[in-house]
Amino acid sequence: MPGGRRCPDCDSTELVEDSHYSQSQLVCSDCGCVITEGVLTTTFADEGHLREVTYSQSTGENEQVSRSQQRRCLRRVRDLCRVLQLPSTFEDTAVAYYQQAYRHSGIRAARLQKKEVLVGCCVLITCRQHNWPLTMGTICTLIYADLDVFSGTYMQIVKLLGLDVPSLCLADLVKTYCSSFRLFQASPSVPAKYVEDKEKMLSRTLQLVELANETWLVTGRHPLPVITAATFLAWQSLQPSGRLTCSLARFCKLANVDLPYPATSRLQELLAVLLQMAEQLAWLQILKLNKRSVVKHIGDLLQHRHTLVRKAFRDGTAEMEACEREVQGQRQGEEEVGDSSLDLPVRKRPASPALLLPPCMLKPPKQLRPTPPVCTVTGDENISDSEIEQYLRTPEEVRDFQRAQAAGQAAKSLPNPL
Amino acid sequence: MDADSDVALDILITNVVCVFRTRCHLNLRKIALEGANVIYKRDVGFLLTEERNIYTFIYTYSNGKIVWYMAERENSKRVGSRHLNCKIHYKGFQVIFTDFKVVNVLAVCNMPFEIRLPEFTKNNRPHASYEPELHPAVCYRIKSLRATLQIFSTGSITVTGPNVKAVATAVEQIYPFVFESRKEIL
Repeated sequence: MPGGRRCPDCDSTELVEDSHYSQSQLVCSDCGCVITEGVLTTTFADEGHLREVTYSQSTGENEQVSRSQQRRCLRRVRDLCRVLQLPSTFEDTAVAYYQQAYRHSGIRAARLQKKEVLVGCCVLITCRQHNWPLTMGTICTLIYADLDVFSGTYMQIVKLLGLDVPSLCLADLVKTYCSSFRLFQASPSVPAKYVEDKEKMLSRTLQLVELANETWLVTGRHPLPVITAATFLAWQSLQPSGRLTCSLARFCKLANVDLPYPATSRLQELLAVLLQMAEQLAWLQILKLNKRSVVKHIGDLLQHRHTLVRKAFRDGTAEMEACEREVQGQRQGEEEVGDSSLDLPVRKRPASPALLLPPCMLKPPKQLRPTPPVCTVTGDENISDSEIEQYLRTPEEVRDFQRAQAAGQAAKSLPNPL
Repeated sequence: MDADSDVALDILITNVVCVFRTRCHLNLRKIALEGANVIYKRDVGFLLTEERNIYTFIYTYSNGKIVWYMAERENSKRVGSRHLNCKIHYKGFQVIFTDFKVVNVLAVCNMPFEIRLPEFTKNNRPHASYEPELHPAVCYRIKSLRATLQIFSTGSITVTGPNVKAVATAVEQIYPFVFESRKEIL
């Protein structure tokens, strides 16, 4: 009788230890009441040493449950590749990545939602490595995943497997995205005057996207809104007479495509760039174009775009510098003269033409911190003995810097796998 | 402009995270009841204090570990930590201020030129990661310094590192790489 215990039912002291299917139990031999149960053991080593382990630590959990889950997820990988009509080699690569990821304990123990998102991540990585244009938004729509969860899983898996994932190729994405627009054949929902030739629209859209890339409208931004805006402008410019009255939202509805939220802003930025370029062309200067009428001349502007963009940058920079000098001179003059009796409003910014800079540079952020006073330090002053220590690197810093430089040089000398 | 020429860059430290221990068990419930500006998260097991005058968030754990998230300068960390220690002491706990350590520093630096991110990513592939669909900046990791840099197209760089020296070294190291990918006037 272990420990002087009594049966709670019949108060008997005849308690025996019995193993029921490898699970040890304390049972009352008189009434058969199970008083306590042990822990299931499934590892041979632990059973041999008579030690108990929890089920999650046992080998059975790794083999049985995970295998069925893995098989289901691998099937989903193959189904997703078939839905996207990817070549069979892509399927095998995506499946290999999933199996590789599944060997990591962090992924194996993750929630089912994460494992399902991992399916999309493996397919996306495979497509990117083969320069197949596929966006994260498309994958998230197909697997019904949230973009935040997808992005976290994607970054984790790239780091975990040490993969080199190239950036999305903009030209390929333009071709794929434009092909999804339903404007190339007449249909009951698309009037005949809105139907356009696919090749012409594609080539003009590519030129507009290249222009947007050169003028800092693409860097750091989601590519799809820019492509949507460029496609809309290309479509309008090919037959402006009947299409200038059509808005971006209506265009997307006709083409059976979702309108991304920032597309309207990208459209305005692109039109502003085109207007700047139009000011450099002599025969367009006299026409006094606006954002609506410049669309008719997009063909001419794109033909000479390299020269026009270069001129717009150079002229814009020179004019800005001249205006800044003028304003500084004016301010000095005002300080000397004193208060003016005419009570004119003080101009905070010079009225200069907008520069071809990244849009965030044209609207600088608000300064939260007060600007430090202008200091007259030139860097050539003598350093006092008490401060000299601050300018000398410690041996640890020298070592760290050398190590970091060596790592940088080694990374540079590595051949580019693409 | 030459990459090797002397360029003075201002590195502005915006946030610092530091940790210290009080070497005694803390009754979080008592501190929460008697303290001001505290939120007691019983399910997670910490006390959150917000000190607005010094732009600080303080996470206090019952084992005596205190994590301090503070904006602005690093030098005031020790002063602020001792100040907090005194506050806890006045509530009857025999605290000892030990194991003060700065664990994370966030700094911002502005380059005098814009940076072409796709070109920068292509030239620095293993360390740089650029996903415009997710984030507008390039994420560059320096493993030897345990530092992470977020490089924006405007030339602004946000550096996160274990201490100020690592942050400064990281900026020194990244400068030639971003200089190669700077915007050229056409």
